[in-house]
Amino acid sequence: MLSCGDSSNLKLARPLRDASRPPYKSVMMNTGWKSYDAGSFFDELITGAGQPRVAARRVVKLLQSLSDKELADRRAAAELAIREMGISFTIYSEGKNIDRAWPFDIIPRVIPARDWARVSLGLAQRSRALNCFIDDIYNKQKILAAGIVPDDIVLDSGNYKLPCVGVSPRYGAWAHICGTDLVRDRNGKFYVLEDNLRVPSGVSYMLENREITKRVLPELFENYSIQPVDDYPSRLHSTLASLSPRALRRPCIVVLTPGIYNSAYFEHAFLAQRMGAELVEGSDLFVGEDDIVYMRTVDGPIRVDVVYRRIDDDFLDPEVFREDSALGVPGIMRAWKAGHVAIANAPGAGVADDKVVYAFVPQMIRFYLNEKPLLASVKTYLCVNKRDRDYVLANLDKLVVKPANESGGYGLMVGPHSSKAKRAEFARLIEQNPRNYIAQPTLALSTAPTYIDSTVEPRHLDLRPFILQGKETWVTPGGLTRVALTKGSLVVNSSQGGGSKDTWIVEGTR
Amino acid sequence: MTMLSRVADRLFWMARYLERAEDTARLVHAYTHLVMDIPKGSEPGWDILVRILDAEVKFAEHYRVYNEHNVMKFLIADKDNVGGILSAIHAARENVRTTRDVLPGEIWETVNELYLYAQEHAEKCIGRRNRYQFLETVIARCQMISGMVISTLPRGHAYRFIKLGHLMERADMTTRVIDVGAAALLGDERHRSTVDPLIWASLLKALSAIGAYRREIGPQVEASAMVNFVLREDTLPRSIKFCLNGIRKELMPLNNNQDALRLVNKARRKLSLFDPQTRSREELHTFIDQFQLLLWHIYRCIDHTWFMTDQK
Repeated sequence: MLSCGDSSNLKLARPLRDASRPPYKSVMMNTGWKSYDAGSFFDELITGAGQPRVAARRVVKLLQSLSDKELADRRAAAELAIREMGISFTIYSEGKNIDRAWPFDIIPRVIPARDWARVSLGLAQRSRALNCFIDDIYNKQKILAAGIVPDDIVLDSGNYKLPCVGVSPRYGAWAHICGTDLVRDRNGKFYVLEDNLRVPSGVSYMLENREITKRVLPELFENYSIQPVDDYPSRLHSTLASLSPRALRRPCIVVLTPGIYNSAYFEHAFLAQRMGAELVEGSDLFVGEDDIVYMRTVDGPIRVDVVYRRIDDDFLDPEVFREDSALGVPGIMRAWKAGHVAIANAPGAGVADDKVVYAFVPQMIRFYLNEKPLLASVKTYLCVNKRDRDYVLANLDKLVVKPANESGGYGLMVGPHSSKAKRAEFARLIEQNPRNYIAQPTLALSTAPTYIDSTVEPRHLDLRPFILQGKETWVTPGGLTRVALTKGSLVVNSSQGGGSKDTWIVEGTR
Repeated sequence: MTMLSRVADRLFWMARYLERAEDTARLVHAYTHLVMDIPKGSEPGWDILVRILDAEVKFAEHYRVYNEHNVMKFLIADKDNVGGILSAIHAARENVRTTRDVLPGEIWETVNELYLYAQEHAEKCIGRRNRYQFLETVIARCQMISGMVISTLPRGHAYRFIKLGHLMERADMTTRVIDVGAAALLGDERHRSTVDPLIWASLLKALSAIGAYRREIGPQVEASAMVNFVLREDTLPRSIKFCLNGIRKELMPLNNNQDALRLVNKARRKLSLFDPQTRSREELHTFIDQFQLLLWHIYRCIDHTWFMTDQK
């Protein structure tokens, strides 16, 4: 749809004037964009012909019109805002915890609303199917009986938690908060790279990135209609409240954090504050003789209804999982199984967060929902299958090999960037433990213009939207864009030198 | 809305550390000023500041000589001295960082800015030239944070425990400010008539109380009147009486407050029975020591009743 006020489209209707304008690359006031060339990759903001995409036109125009000095000022303003707002993440290095300022690139990534609508539907569909799958696995196991997913892949997985068998959380929802990583290929088509169903993080940075952009590039918000992201905390709150075992107007919701030394502590505090929930550590909670979870307060013990936990299953309850966990709450699994407390994400939800199980999501969508998958998955070779394994071993230099069960970008091998020794090492690892490895073709990830020192260069990026699943399904408009700051790198994780960008879903542009 | 014991504990300490930073800055500021006023040869030593803060042991770990530079470095920029301005601000920031979910966002931002400021400037402000500027900025920003607490924080547990921490620390620091006068001059009979009024007046300035004193008592600053004013004037926000009354008021609405209230009332009685007019300087010094111990017992009781996490 063309909106009346959309001057960029009106300009398209006047080719004469366009033709008389100097070519794109010479209109800029600052030097940074001069040699921008994304090569053969799909670039989010600039077309192959070097022109800004329609939706991004005003962003690019504004950034080009700024002088080098103005640009430097804006970037300094962003850095100052990050420091003053205290937006940080923690990395553990050399025996010390370092609180690092959040790495942020001021150039937003722009996605037309129309393109996003399709992606959003696909994400919701995927989340519903994954939740059906988890609920099925811990109960009737229909999908295994039907032979659609092989038994051993699920039941031998470390993420399949026996203590969860037979539990039916409300609405059949286990992965209430899902962070799904998306990438775009050479043609701009979206693919799902993985589903994070355990304790996905990053959503607070999505919110803060928008906050910073509003401070630093306020004039862009006048002309664009950008879908707001601010209501995530209230959506999250409603989702969590809907899980409360007691029908209260204001159930007691807590965010359970491993504590200040966790890399995502900032986010835990942020979400607790935005939801008006208590931020608790394991030692703040205890389970009474009555199998009810209480928190220790200045008024004495108070009953807890919903625990939004940001610690892994293994550390959740030393009575059931790791005995040495000091982070968890002894007895919380008892309380959960008795239905006295809701835990989000539910223990055991990680059974669907596995790169081997990932390969079966399209089948799950057909099996549980009887629908056609709306979002593409990346072709995945399961090393556990002989035919796939042979192909993988013969093509290690072309593939990305990933352990089934790691997150944070650890333990993977990018074939085309790897050494001969590295490939030999992975061949050995695969032969030793084929179940633990999958391989995928190396995708030509999309790029976006990113400030590197004082020039603008293309950098690869991904996108992590968040999907909430309670009684209803809700998808964030956009998500957290992570960008690999090292030239040519495909690793976007902030723990490994990645940066981030504000992500705009904009209306009225094509 | 209730509050986690752990959070109450951290808010209490956030407030204590901010008050500690501010009051130490005030003390150092007033003392620096004082030293310049007193004739050469009769000025009291820099060791007094360390002594009245009960920090001699800590000081001796890192320094040998009690000269101006060492004492100022210790009180302003030392990262290991929990009584020093920089590390008190750092500790306050850590406490806010872990409780920011119960505070208005501006408070965290301001505390964080104060920390960034102190971290960048403390070391450079040990010398006299930049010292005032630094101390005044610290005082002003701490007051700004207090102002935010007063004007934005709902009167619930968060406010209550911040207030308690703040008043406990302030009561303690006010006793120490008086102790500068009492301890500094103990046994020193020289120049008493010329130097004494200067010292007491500068201590009143440290408490922002010189104007109030002049209006209430008169322009002449005299030892026992000053001590009486600072101990027992219940309208003066930095007096001991005012702090104890405030602590009592904040304890009232809390559950299980009997023990704490009993101790606070004991302190109030002790205070009302002590008449500076009839006591010697040694007696004042002893009284202050005992009173600081009583404040410590009140703190232990608050800690035990509301912060300890052994409920079941």
